[in-house]
This record gives sequence, structure tokens and C-alpha cells, in this order.
Amino acid sequence: MLKRRDFLKALGLGGVGTGLGFMLGESIKTPATNLIPYVVPPEDIVPGVANWYSSLCTQCNAGCGIIVRVLEGRAKKIEGNPHHPVNQGRLCAMGQAGLQALYNPDRIKTPLIRKGSRQSEEFRAITWEEALSVLAENLMKLKIASNTEKLFLLSSVIRGHMGHLFETFMQNFGSPNYIQYDLFQHKELIFANKVSMGINILPHYDIGNTNLLLSFGADFLNTWLSPVNHSLGYGHMRQGRHGSRGRLVQIEPRLSLSGANADEWIPVRPGTEGILALGLAYTIIEEGYYKGQDINEWNKILSPYKPEIISELTNTDNERIRTLAREFASARPGLAIAGENAASYTDGVNHIIAVNILNHLADNIGKTGGVISNPEAPIKKTQSLKDIDALLRNARAGEVETLITYNTNPVFTLPHNSKIQEALENIPFVVSLSCFMDETTAHADLILPTHTSLEDWGDDISEPATGYNTATIMQPAVSPLYDSRNAGDILLSTAKRLGNRLQKNMPWDNFRDFFIESWKTIYEKQRHTYAGEPVFEDFWNKVLTQGGWWDQEKRTHQSIHFIKDNVKRFISSSPSLFQGNEDEFPFYLILYAHSGYYDGRHANLPWLQEMPDPMTSVVWGTWIEINPQTAGKMGIREGDLLLVESPYGKLHVPAYLYPGIRPDTVSIPIGQGHKTYGRYAGNRGSNPLDLLPGISRHETGTIPLNSTRVKITKSSEKGNLVKMEGITKEFDRQIVQTIPPYERRQN
Amino acid sequence: MRKFFLFSFIWVATFISGYWINTSWFSDKQPAQPIAFSHRIHAGENGIPCLYCHIYAERSTAAGVPGVQKCIGCHQIIKRDAPEISKVADYWERKKPIPWIKVHNLPDFVYFSHKRHIRAGIDCNSCHGNVAGMDVITRVSSLKMGWCIDCHMSHNVKNGRDCWTCHK
Amino acid sequence: MSRFLDKLFARFNIYREPGYYGKYDYKWTIVIDLDKCDGCEACVIACHAENNLPIVGEEECSKNRAFNWIRIERYVEGEYPDVRVKFIPILCQQCGKARCEVGCPTYATYHNQDGLNVQVYNRCIGTFTCATYCPYDVRHFNWFSYKWEAPLEQQLNPDVTVREKGVMEKCTFCIQRIRAGKDHAKDEGREVTDGDIQPACVQTCPTGAMTFGDLNDPESRVSQLAKSERRYRLFEDLNTDPSVIYLKRVMKQT
Repeated sequence: MLKRRDFLKALGLGGVGTGLGFMLGESIKTPATNLIPYVVPPEDIVPGVANWYSSLCTQCNAGCGIIVRVLEGRAKKIEGNPHHPVNQGRLCAMGQAGLQALYNPDRIKTPLIRKGSRQSEEFRAITWEEALSVLAENLMKLKIASNTEKLFLLSSVIRGHMGHLFETFMQNFGSPNYIQYDLFQHKELIFANKVSMGINILPHYDIGNTNLLLSFGADFLNTWLSPVNHSLGYGHMRQGRHGSRGRLVQIEPRLSLSGANADEWIPVRPGTEGILALGLAYTIIEEGYYKGQDINEWNKILSPYKPEIISELTNTDNERIRTLAREFASARPGLAIAGENAASYTDGVNHIIAVNILNHLADNIGKTGGVISNPEAPIKKTQSLKDIDALLRNARAGEVETLITYNTNPVFTLPHNSKIQEALENIPFVVSLSCFMDETTAHADLILPTHTSLEDWGDDISEPATGYNTATIMQPAVSPLYDSRNAGDILLSTAKRLGNRLQKNMPWDNFRDFFIESWKTIYEKQRHTYAGEPVFEDFWNKVLTQGGWWDQEKRTHQSIHFIKDNVKRFISSSPSLFQGNEDEFPFYLILYAHSGYYDGRHANLPWLQEMPDPMTSVVWGTWIEINPQTAGKMGIREGDLLLVESPYGKLHVPAYLYPGIRPDTVSIPIGQGHKTYGRYAGNRGSNPLDLLPGISRHETGTIPLNSTRVKITKSSEKGNLVKMEGITKEFDRQIVQTIPPYERRQN
Repeated sequence: MRKFFLFSFIWVATFISGYWINTSWFSDKQPAQPIAFSHRIHAGENGIPCLYCHIYAERSTAAGVPGVQKCIGCHQIIKRDAPEISKVADYWERKKPIPWIKVHNLPDFVYFSHKRHIRAGIDCNSCHGNVAGMDVITRVSSLKMGWCIDCHMSHNVKNGRDCWTCHK
Repeated sequence: MSRFLDKLFARFNIYREPGYYGKYDYKWTIVIDLDKCDGCEACVIACHAENNLPIVGEEECSKNRAFNWIRIERYVEGEYPDVRVKFIPILCQQCGKARCEVGCPTYATYHNQDGLNVQVYNRCIGTFTCATYCPYDVRHFNWFSYKWEAPLEQQLNPDVTVREKGVMEKCTFCIQRIRAGKDHAKDEGREVTDGDIQPACVQTCPTGAMTFGDLNDPESRVSQLAKSERRYRLFEDLNTDPSVIYLKRVMKQT
């Protein structure tokens, strides 16, 4: 018989048991989800099956073609466009990270107007209607007061039709002040090539077919010019040709990624690359490799560059200079390239011209495996009408009333010694057309959000092309995520509001109409080459499907004439100038583009922040590279926080002991040190551009990056250096096995 | 001692009955849908083939549920004023999708391709049951891994037992 | 008794031999030419994009917990100015005789018919045995359930699971692409042809250093490359039978 107490216990137990059993049943059920269908299923989307759109990569200025994998209206993956002649289906790390620019949490979602002072960085959201009328009002005031030249339009380097639209707008508005500015514009290279070879378009450096590549400070595999195309060429040069393997000799004071792959590194003294190139050129003349008629004249010009004379200055063994020159002249073809590092000295143009002379005397110009000229592009290339210097000067003088910026961040990429911030303070009205709250946008009065490149229309000329016409089309892969607009649309609606000439000469409703109409004109002009495409619509569909227009038949037959008389005045036997005297500032400072952040624009992409730097494996920060012997003498250990001072500024950066740098040189990557720019980039690292003087070169109006010396003081703190590598010694583990070179070895 | 056995018995018995109550009367096999759509009327009586509405099943991993446009296609005329159908019309007017409750739900780590199964010749009814006879859609298969493996084994599917055939 | 045990073990031993269902259907192999690899890390980012790899942040990176299913290792020899730098991409070698498969107590990792080392996230309980046994250090552990800040999660690949806290993960040779490639070939009623399927890293490599294919197919590109005199495999003497073949870098010997 059961006692009452036991009965109650049993009851309780039973209740709990039932309850727990029920809970078990509940817990193993998956939570109910909804199944939401379409209202009207779109015809071109099958859920689960991807659509691929061809487009243009805008992460650097090379202009590679991409294809974007889109699933149900969301972009999932970017790959290289297999049909595109520049990158042929391949893509670099920056290109792959383009997705994070589209889906970045820090994108500007609506138009913003400033409330409070410029320093406070406080904005409130407004409608497009309001924003556009504020802009139109301001521009109308300029028109009425006949002050139209006080409008400045500053954009990044744009080579395609968007640039045409900007030019047309400025022309019809009445202002000659359209400026294109990026930190890496290759203006020195373009200028040097124009002067020495008479060409306006960057030539194709045929790395793939060369036998000996001399790279003067060119990080061509990583950040210089067209890295993916160069990498393809590099792969082909090494192991793509049966029976021959090209060699690479890197000549630079700091070993870059490309240098790490070289067969030989010549650590030349900073600022003397051009002199070394002339020394090689002289040897080619002296030892009879040059077969031209004007050999005596060249002998006279180059005799001050005899290897024995320049050996001390360039810190290179003279016997090595001679043997290298002989190898280069007999390479047939060889190729010498002058990269960003050489171009970034105060007299960078001289170095590039010296390298061009070397190519000329070794007979590499116009040859396969050498320097191949490119034809004029099918789209007229937009040029910057003025330099950034003009903006700074005019702003300081109070001659700028309104500044419109698009896609460029001069407050970060110009050294603060150029007084860009003060210049901006002097401009009453600043409008920024931008996706992100970068430093320049944070100083604006009106912010109009633009589309990212995956949501936008546009086009570009690949520069350099690969020997024939290449134009890439950018089409939207996804619908715009936020209330942003195409920059061209913004200017066109402003033109309509301003009326008169502007409205008459810019009748298009939106950028896309203007864009397609322009392409129709190109098609009409070149119609005789499209035997298979009698109708524009078919041509346009073909172009959109394949991602652009390229005509392999239209290889240029334009020959390059080396203009000896022009180059004479650029030949200089003095090394490049570095500010700061040697006693007080003992180290040369070399700055370089980081392989992930480039000029700082991608610091807000977390994949690239977490990508270990290829040469140091550092993530999420800035560092200074210092030679281990020098560091040992100064008692510096890895991770120590160093105070780096130039005559113009100072920084605190942690040290990294880097054997690939000269003992008298230090190096800092560009890209971090943003004050604003989102949660991933903001207040992280240091901006080495602030160590530079704000003096620009008069030939190109650009600021030389390698132009100052610095001094290093060890501080007592430990810096924050996060690196991913372990020990970089192999210790007989046979991890990376090597085999000695053998001239006629196959494969 | 006897009390111990008695209590254990009560505990186990009530636990099992609690679980049984849950699966019988509180099961999620047949959730209430926002509109009382009857497969029996459409697929059964009117003989509409499965793929007429579930258009993606043969082309994609997901079968998909028809958009509101598919329903309105017929029902803008047929029985427009019936109570349930006027709900459909309402969703169409407001351009809002119908929020169905998912009955056959597989976890995110499972890769199941409708396309592959249909092209292998498997009838919709073998997994979804006699849909043409259901007034309210009911889940008749357990959709557990063991059930999938049983079918793969009995049909001798190539690499059918390999984990990575179905796990992503 | 011992005869009984022998019979019992014999039944299980066959599961330890690779290709125990018979011949491998495919033997997926990657050939990496170290003379072409320039250490640019495009493969690293492509893998992040394709496989839903989380961003762990600065602090977790300092604890070496970053997710790089493929990583570039850099070895530096010599002192200034005779500095020699060598790069090698290291990813899961999909070993034929994998140590991780032997060690896993829950059989969450095993060898499948394609010659791949499969990681089943559901079975994994995070004992770390596999990571400890792996000589290439390619296994990564999910210390947290990582979040993607909106709208970055819109980019996640639906063909790849998003892993939770507590499971091990590693390179899968982009199994989702292999599956999709076979699916596509089956739709068209043909066999998978060489070059149809490319993992994300192989597809993006700018120098073309990586090649992917079926070693069982004598006509495939990897079979041709695998005959090279420069071929070697990583830690070959450990007898792991890796499916990644490296081609030696051409470099002057010191």
C-alpha cells in the first residue's frame, strides 16, 4: 500500500517525467522556418543556380576583367575573366577582396549634410532631393557671380567615359579645373616614356617572353602597373617555355616581393638606380654590343658612367656591373623596367629615362620580350587638366569656392605637410561623392553616396594593354544595396537643374544612356572591323557578355623612335636628393605600396587586414623594416616601438628585423594610419606619408615618396606587432626544395 | 527496494508518455499554413503536375514554392471570392509574398539536390508521400540521415554512403 | 580467441587502406610549381571568399588562430646582402595515409573515394587529435562561433557550411566545386574533363603556379606535370602519401 507521502512523491515524479519527456520532444524539433517565395519570380534567376556577370575590377588601376558569381541577387565570388587579355582568368588578392567593399558594414547609405563644424564630423541624413538642390544652389551662385572657374572637380584616375562626362560637365559649366589624383598614377613613367620614346600610352612590358628581366625597383608581381598580367608573364617566363627559363635580377635598396623571387638582388644605394642603369648602358657601348650608327655620340654622353667610376656611388661591385651588362646585351631579348621605387625619388623621371636608354641600347624596344608599344585606345583617354598642386595653391589663395571630390582621398594620400587640410579649410563648400567615410569625406559639407563598382556602369581602358586595343565594360552585378547613385547621374541631374548650356549639351537622363550612346559612336566609327556584328545591339550584347572589347587583329604597327636629343638633359650623375642631413638623419626612408591596402584605400576590407604581408607576415598593423645588423647595433629587438623622425614629421611604429634591406635604409609600408574609414581601418597603425615634405615635382606635380631621411630612436615601450610566421629557417627540413639552374634543362 | 523500482517505473513511463504526447499532438509535421491551400484539390482532383508550380525542382538544388503570380494566374478568375482565395488576391494586391511554414526542412549543413534526385527518376511521392491526397501538407518521412542512407544503400547509389555526398 | 580477434581486426583494417571500395574513382591532385609561385597570397584571399572563412581579428591573430586554409610559408636564409627567400603554399595535403584519419576518435575524418581527406563537421567533437598529428599543421579549430558583421554575411557561399564553435576544419580541395563539376558533367551526360573543376586557389593564381586534376587520368595536365624531374612531396619520408606534388624551385645552390 502506498503512503500518502509516497503517492505525492510519485505524482511529482510523474509530472516532472512527463514534462521532461515533452521538453525532449520539443528540443529535438528544428525551429519552424518560413518558406518565402517570390511574388513575381524573376526570369533570369533560378535559386541555387549562379549567374555570372562580366565586369571590371577597380581595386587598382590596372583594369583587369572579372566575372562575378551572383546567386539570387547576391554577389558571392569574384574570379578573373578568362577571356580578358590582361588577366586571362586570373585575379590578385585585392581583386578577390572587392566583395567586401560592396558588403562593407561602413558604407554610407544615404546623402548626408554636415551639422556642426568640419572637425566634429557630425552629419545628418537628408533626401536626395534636398541634397541635389543644395548642390545645384551652390553651383548656381557661382554661375551668377561669373565665378565658374572657382569650381574644382577632383577625382581618382578615370580613363573611361565617366571621365568624359566629368570633362563635358566642367567644360559646359565654365571651369578648366578638372584634376585627377591618385597616389600611384605612374605620371613619372608616362612623362619619361613621352620624352624618351615619344609615346603617350604606356607600352606593354613583355615579361613573358624575355630572357633576362632587370627590374629597377619594380615590384611588378605585387603592386606595380598591372600585377596580374606581369605575374602571368612571370610564370610563363620561368616555366612556360620549353628549353628556356628567363632570369630576374632585382635592383633596389629594399627587397620587395618581386625581389624575393629574383635570381639575384643588387642592393643599390637609394637614389642611384639610374646611374647604375647608365653604367650598364655604358658597358654595352664600350664592349661593342650596340650596333647603332651614333655609337660615338653615346660614348661621349655616357662616359662619366664607367662602372669603375660609379661603383662606389652605387655601392655595387664594378665587375658585377660589367658582367650583368654583358648578360643583358646578349639576352636578346632582355627587358629592363623601372618601377615605383625608382620613380619615387625626387628626380624619378631621370631614373626611368636611364632605364629607357638601357633598353634602347640593348635593342629591346619594339621587340617581343622587350618593350612593345600599344595602340591608341578606342576610348579617348581622359586626362587630368591640372595637377593636385593647382588645387592646393588656388585653395590657399582663396581661389576655390567649391570642391567636388569623387573616389579619391587626398587628405590621406597627400602628406600633411602639403597642408591639404588647411587648403580644405579655405574652401567654403566641399562635396564628396564617395562610398565610405574616409578622411576627405569626413571633411566635406555634403556627402552623396555613390555605387561601388559591383553595382555600377562604366568602362575603362586597360593600361598598359597587351599590344592591342582593350576596353573593359563594367556592368552592375547586383542591384544597389543602399540609396546610392551613380556619380554621372548626380552630375547629369545637377546639369538639368542648372539649365541653359549645361542642360542643352548634356541632355541624357542618366549615365547609362550617355554611356551606351558613346559606345554607339565608337561602334559606328569602327564598324568596318565588325564583320559579324551588323547591328549595334548584337555588338553590345557580345561586349557585355565577354566583359569588354578587344581586337587582337588591331595590333599596333606604331614604331617607337628613341629621341636621343630629348633625353640628354635628364642624364644626371648625382644621386637623388633626400631631405635631411646625413648626420642628424642617418637612414634613407623608402616607402612602398602594401600588397593589400595599396595606397590605403583597402584598409577597410577585413580580408586584406588579416592577410599576412608576404614579406613580413604582419597583420592588422604598420611596421618599420630595419636591417638586423643595424638593429643589433642599436639594441633594437623585434616588436620594439620606435620613434621615427624626419625633418617634417614623426611616427611611432614597431620594428621588424628584415634582412632584405640595406643597413643604411629603413622602410615603412603605406596604407594604415587612417583616422576615420570605418571599424576595420580607423585608428590603426601609422601613416608614413606624414614623414614626407610637401614639395611636389615640377614635371609631374606629384609628390616623391622616397625623398627624405629619418632618424630612429628606441622608445621604452613594446609596440603591437602581430605576425603570423613562426621561425623562418628551414633547419634541414627540406620544405622548399631547390634544384640548381641548368641552361638547357626542360620543364 | 520495491519503492525504488516503482518510482523508476513511474519516471520512465511518464517520460516516454510525455515524449509521445509531444510527437502525437504537438508535432510539427503538419504546421498550420497562412492560407489553407489543399494539394488534394489542386494535384489530386485537378491533376496539376508537381513541376507546374514547383518549377525549379528539375533545374536546381532547391525545388522552390510557387510565387504569388502562379496562384493568381488561375485564381484571378477561378473562385475569386472564396475566403481562402481572396487571401491570395490580397497578398497579390499588396505585392507581398505568402509566408508559408516550411514542412520539409533540412539543416544548413546538408546538401540535397532536387535536380539530381528527379533526374535519377525518383518520384516526388517517395519522399513527400501521397501529396495528391493531402489537404494539409504533412511530413511523412523522418528526413533523418538514417532514412537517406537507407534509400542510398538500397538503390546502390554511387558514393551514396560517402559523408561528403550530402554534407557540405 | 586470437583467431577471433584477427578476423575482427581484418574486417576493420580494410577501412584503413586507401581506396577500400576498390580503385579510387578519382585521385584529385594539385601540382604546385615553386619556380612560378611568387608568394602574392591571392590564393589565400580566394579561399577566404569561397569557403566562408571567418575574420578573427587582431587579438586572435596574435594567438595564431587565424583561418588560413592555405598559407604561404616564407623561409629566409642568409644575411644581408646574400638573402635568399623561398615561398611555399601549404594547404591540406589530403594524405593517402593520413595520420589525422587514424587519430580521430569519432571517425569525423576519413578518406573517400575521390582520394580526399574528408572532414565531417557533425561528428567532430574537437579533441584536437587530428591537429596534433598533422605534420603540416593545416588544421584549424573554431574557438568561437564567429560572426559576420552585417551585411558581410550576404557574401557567404551557400554551398559551404558555416562552421560552429568546437569543430575542426581544413582545406577540402573545394569539394563543393568538385561536386558541382561532377553534377554538371552528369547533366550533360559525360565524364568530368580535365580543367572542368578548379579549386578557388588554383583558379585565381596569377602566375599559374597551381594545377588541379585527376592523377588517375594519364592525359590530364597534373599527370604530365607529375612526371617532372623536379617533383617532390612535402615530408615524403614521413610516409603520409600526400596528394599535393611540389615542383622544386630553380635556385642557385649556396
